[in-house]
This record gives sequence, C-alpha cells and structure tokens, in this order.
Amino acid sequence: MAPTGRAALLAALGTLPVGIWEPSWTGILAVNAPLALACACDYTLAAPVRRLGLTRSGDTSTRLGETAEVTLTVTNPSRRPLRARLRDAWPPSSWLPGSEVAASRHRLAVPAGERRRVTTLLRPTRRGDRQADRVTIRSYGPLGLFTRQAGHRVPWTVRVLPPFTSRKHLPSKLARLRELDGRTSVLTRGEGTEFDSLREYIPGDDTRSIDWRATARQSAVAVRTWRPERDRHILLVLDTGRTSAGRVGDIPRLDASMDAALLLAALASRAGDRVDLMAYDRRVRALVQGRSAGDVLPSVVNVMAPLEPELVETDFRGLTATALRTAPRRSLIVLLTSLDAAPVEEGLLPVLSRLTQRHTVLVASVSDPHIARMATARGTTDAVYEAAAAAQAQSERHRTAGQLRRHGVTVVDAPPEELAPALADAYLALKAAGRL
Amino acid sequence: MTAEATPSHTSASPTARQLWGHARGVVIAFVILLTAAVVIAVVRSGAEHGRLDPRSADGNGSRAIEQLLDDNGVSTRVVTTLDEATAAAAPDTTLLIAVPDLLNEPQQRRLRTATTASGGRTVLVAPGAPSVGTLVPGVTADPAPSFDSALAPRCDLPAARRAGTADLGGIRYQVTVRDADTCYPESGLPGLVLLPGAEGDGDTVVIGAPDILYNDRLDEQGNASLALQLLGSRPHLVWYLPSLADDSVRDTGDRSFFDLLPSGWLWGGLQLFVAALIAALWRARRLGPLVPEKLPVAIRASETVEGRARLYRKADARDRAAAALRSTTRTRLAPLVGVPVSRAHAPEALIPALSAHLHGDGRTLHTLLFGPPPGDDKALIALTDRLDALEREVRRS
Repeated sequence: MAPTGRAALLAALGTLPVGIWEPSWTGILAVNAPLALACACDYTLAAPVRRLGLTRSGDTSTRLGETAEVTLTVTNPSRRPLRARLRDAWPPSSWLPGSEVAASRHRLAVPAGERRRVTTLLRPTRRGDRQADRVTIRSYGPLGLFTRQAGHRVPWTVRVLPPFTSRKHLPSKLARLRELDGRTSVLTRGEGTEFDSLREYIPGDDTRSIDWRATARQSAVAVRTWRPERDRHILLVLDTGRTSAGRVGDIPRLDASMDAALLLAALASRAGDRVDLMAYDRRVRALVQGRSAGDVLPSVVNVMAPLEPELVETDFRGLTATALRTAPRRSLIVLLTSLDAAPVEEGLLPVLSRLTQRHTVLVASVSDPHIARMATARGTTDAVYEAAAAAQAQSERHRTAGQLRRHGVTVVDAPPEELAPALADAYLALKAAGRL
Repeated sequence: MTAEATPSHTSASPTARQLWGHARGVVIAFVILLTAAVVIAVVRSGAEHGRLDPRSADGNGSRAIEQLLDDNGVSTRVVTTLDEATAAAAPDTTLLIAVPDLLNEPQQRRLRTATTASGGRTVLVAPGAPSVGTLVPGVTADPAPSFDSALAPRCDLPAARRAGTADLGGIRYQVTVRDADTCYPESGLPGLVLLPGAEGDGDTVVIGAPDILYNDRLDEQGNASLALQLLGSRPHLVWYLPSLADDSVRDTGDRSFFDLLPSGWLWGGLQLFVAALIAALWRARRLGPLVPEKLPVAIRASETVEGRARLYRKADARDRAAAALRSTTRTRLAPLVGVPVSRAHAPEALIPALSAHLHGDGRTLHTLLFGPPPGDDKALIALTDRLDALEREVRRS
C-alpha cells in the first residue's frame, strides 16, 4: 500500500487554502482529513492483488539475439475492476541495456471476473537459462489516490541458445562435402573411400576401376565407384576451463568455440558421421552421446546453452581419460581449447600420446585479432613494446602449435569469426584424405 | 517452442497474519521495553517531582503550607507565566517566586518593575547569583553557602523572633541597603533579608533556603511559623512557578525568522511538508525488488600480452623487445629466401641467402637481424622501422 502522485499533488494544492484562508490547525485538518478519508476509500475499493490468478505461457527457448515472447494471463476473481501497473521481472540480461524498464512494465485493466493477457518481450543479451523473478502488481483505486501492491511468483524459464552465427557457412561446406561424397562418384580407390556401387562403363572411365568379376556376370562392362567413408565417429571436446573465459572481441573464447563446434556438428551429421559432444574442465560439464543424425544438432545446442567458463585449470589427464571412455572406437577427436603455452605444455602434451594412439586428434583454438593488431603497431615507444610483446606471444603460440603438430595433431588456429569455417575445412580435408 | 504453466496459488507477498508472525517478537520486545522504561521513570522520578508546587503532596511539594494558609483565610493561586504574575501584583497580594533563577534577565526586569510599583509583598525563594542582583538591587549572594541547616534568628524582626530557629541555612546574602532587616545570619551573613519597598506598604523578602516551604520540613523547628508569617501578611498569595513554556521566555527583543513570517506562510509550509511526505512515500514504493543475476567473468584474452608490453616498457627491456621483433622478422623472412624455418635463427644460413636475394651488404643485414640491442627507445623504434622496410623489400624483389 502506498499513496500515489495524485495524492501528493492534492496535498500540495491544499497549501493554498491553508495558507490563504485558514492558517491554523483547523485548516490543516480541513485539508488533510478529507484527503486521508479519500485515500482510505480508494484503498478499500482497489481490486485485491493477492487473490489474482496468474499463469504464464509462451516461448521456452530462443536463440541469442532473437526475441522470446512470454505471455502472462491475469485473472481477476474479485467483484471490483482491476486497474493496475504490472512489472514482470526477469534478470537484467534478459533485455538490451536501457530497455528493461520499458519492456518489463505493463498497464493493465481487468474487469471484474475476467482475464487479460500481457506479453513481455524478452531479448536476451547472454546465453543460458533466464528464470522469471516475481511479478509485482500495483492496483489503483477508482480515484487513483492510493494503491495496493503485492508480488506473485509465476515460475518460467527461457533457455537462450547459442546464436550459431556460422550457419551461413553451412551451404558452401555442404557443397564441398557433396563433391567428396558418393553423389559425385569417385572412381579412384584410395584411403578413406569405401565401395559405393557398380555402374556401366562410360568411355573415359579409368580402366583400372573395371570390375571384371561383375562384368563377367553381366553383358555390359561394369566399373566400381567409391565414396568417402561414412559412419565415422567424431567427438567434440569443449574445454571450459579458465582459458576459455578470456574474451576475444566481446565474446568469450568458449562461445566462439561453440559456434565452430556447432558448424562442425551440423556438417558431420549431414555427412553421415556420428557426432558426440563433451564439455570438460575438471569434471564433465555436458555430454551428448549416441544421438541420431537428425537429433544431434538440437541436443548439442541445448546442452551448450547453459555452459559457462569455469575459472579453474583444465585437468587434461581427466579429460583424456573421459574422452577415451566416451569414444571407444576409432574417432576424430576435436579438442576446442587454447594454444597458451603453459596449459598445453604442462597439461595436454604429456597425455596427448594416449589420444593419438587410437584416434585422430584435431586441436582448434581461437586466436586473438587484437594481438595481431598489436603486433603491427608502430611509431611510438609504447606501440613498439606492444608489438614486441605481441610478437613474443605469437611466436610462443606457433611453437606450441608446432609441438602439437609433431605429435601428429592437426592444429586449427583462427580468429573467432574464421574459426568455424577453418575447422569445417580441416574436417573436410581429413575426410577427403581418409584420415577419419 | 511454447508451453503453458498450470494456475496455482502464486502470491509471494506476506499476508497480514504472516507479517504479524514475523514482527510479533520485535513488537512484544518493544512493548516490554517501553513498559519497563515508564515504570522505572515513575519509580525513580519521585525526588524532584512537583518541587515547591503548592498542589504537590510530595516531600518536596508545598501543599501543607498552602493548606495552612487556606485555614488562616489566605487564598493561594498558582501562576506559571510572567504575564499572570505581573498582573497579579497588588497591594493586598503576596507574590511568591518559587525558583527565581529560572527567569531570564528581561523577565527579571519586568518582574522587578511590576513588584516595585505594586505595594505588595514579594517573596523570593533562594535566589542565587543569576537573579538576585536584578530582582533585589543592593543584595548579592555569597558564593559560599552556610554549613548548618537550622539557624537562630538573632534579629529584631517580629516574625523571626516569634518563629525562633528555622531551616534557613542555604544561600547567604551580602546586603548594602541601609534599612534592610537581616536575620538568621551565619558568620555574619544573613539567610533572610527583608527590604522595605520604595513606596507604600510594599516590601521584599529574600530567603536563602526553600526548606521552610517543603511538606516534609514544615513541622520542624519554627519553619511553619516563619512561613505562615512571611506568606500570610496579605489576604491573597500568588505562587509563581516559572516555567520554560512561558511565551515571555522568548520575548528577548530580537525576533526570530518565524516571528517575522506571516502565519499563512508558516501553515502553508506545514501543509507543503505533508505533501512532500506523501510524495516521498509515493516515490519510495518501488514496483518489486531488484533482480539479482550471476554475472560471467569478463577477462580480455589479450590482457597478459598487454601486461607484458607494459612490463617491457617499465623495465626498459629493449634487449628483449628487440630480440622478439628480430626473431619474428627472421621467421617470416626465412621461407621467402628459401631457408627452412628451423634454420632461420642461424646467421650463417640466413644472411648469405638474404644478401644473395637482395644483392645487399651482408654485414648491414647481420647488424640489423642479429646485432646488439638498441641503446635507447628511439633506436628501438628505428630498428623496428628498418626491420619492416627489409621485409617489404624482400617481398617486393
């Protein structure tokens, strides 16, 4: 319960009669007693707030950067009309900065015994789950002098999925895939291809690919065609340790890694490979395993949504052990981590051989374009020192990458917006080379 | 992806019953505290309550003497303001001023003027240094009080002689007025002074101690006799109890800001204050509490590199900076001139290949790529520029 601005205005206007006609306690009483009475009436006549019935409906998930509509249905069971202001409170990151006040507040009029809907438009600025806080309703009396107010808890969660901005690269990568795939049949047999079908010989085909046994059974000359191997296993491993928290541009490394992982998952599932996902720092943060090709992308997106970087050093020993358990058969293990010298040299390198023994390993890392810009800074003393520090960092990174390559690991190191296509290209190259 | 939530009891605000449940302990504790405070105040306040008040039956009150006077046909009236006291001054009236020290200087002057002209009796009860000088010129209070409470009269004043020893030991006075009666002296300074008025029948009595008027002391020594004679000489007694609530306290000549304001403004201001209070309540009521949110950490990935650059700068680590820049340039140049990267940092491999490629001087190239660190920052900047120029040249040719 609280007075309104109108009550304060009336009290202020009461100054004039008190000051001019009756400057005494009588005047004060003559102005304030009717005002207090009107306020009391208003409070009594305002529709009760506590007994309102509230239900929610609407979106339960949205992509980062898109909007979600959550509808609140307010039922007024009392016999007094409800005239109210309503605040549907959500965490601050549910809206663009500065727009939360306008987006969360609604005016509402519900006649007695009826129900009305208000729609809150969320536009989250961060990935993860957004949980509705309380709904506060302020009910005004008929005179607009006094209010009743109460809060309601109507739980609702909107999951904000990763934006998957690298979707735009998918068509071109799929086209590349089709070139490799059996649909444009490859006649040359080699590593990484499997038998596709027999077809009739067309002049120009390589005579070495003629299947004489099949030709003997038919009247026409038959050639064998080959296509890249299918049903390979791919395990995407997201490192969610401290190095993934660093921001490149304005997004954490982890988000860039996720984007690349999503593109690869989309591409590989279309290519007929089985994709698993694991997020790990000192324990398993998320795991997607054994999903069918059509189901893998939605479930990967879903488990990625609430992932946040943890400020702990990644336990590469545990990561390797878990990855080996998760991928019992020969797989392509894509490790999305950083190429910082210390964690790689002390953590990853000692245990890398256990992975490379059975699996093909690909390490993808987000490089920082800001460091590249620093390396080219010239002109002032500060700029030259910055360039020196950046050059030092870059050479360390190259050295680390070189160490990994010597272990037979494919390394992809690219700035955030180029990482996803670069990783997809690396995958396609491995597939074409039959190294899956 | 949409869904619907089932309706349920959703109210999150506490009901009146819940509020009472939460606040009950505090309210009860507050009430107990308040009660205890009131009880203690009542029990402990007996000592000074109603002191010298003719309506008070306490030990320090003066109801007993008032009753005695009433029996003797003297009417007593209590006044608390200076206006009433001065208005009451008359030839047939005794004006008793219970605590003259509570009066301020202008009040004392007004009282003095009124009593001098009245022709009645004025009794001052134990006036100290702050008041005696103005109220009774010619009499001053001695800073040292008397030792004994009961004193003998030792004077010719009939009332004193009849009363005998009385509890007048308190403030002693030095008297410079010639025809004043001085009684109950100790060490030569009297505890009771009677000064005849300037005109008519009026006089002024100064007593050094209020004890003779107290209820619990009235029956000791000759207190009752002396009090009755001093206060019963006129048919009316006006008992003036000075109070701080008296309007004349503030009537000190210089008027305050509020006295000068028209009352309309004052009351209008009060109403405006009420309006401001309502506005404050209106603005203070927020539409629901703030929503907390766990924020992600925000660390720039390039922070360590920037930190290293600042460290280089702070330590003037030109050698390290130059080495890093040269090393990077060598790594970039080596593949361009056909030297494997693994051999890029060996001068005997890189320099001949470079000089062959550029048809340049091997020694200059050696100094540039493998030479000593620059001596100052300017040389470092120059070195960087020359390394860039070299790289451009190699790429061009």
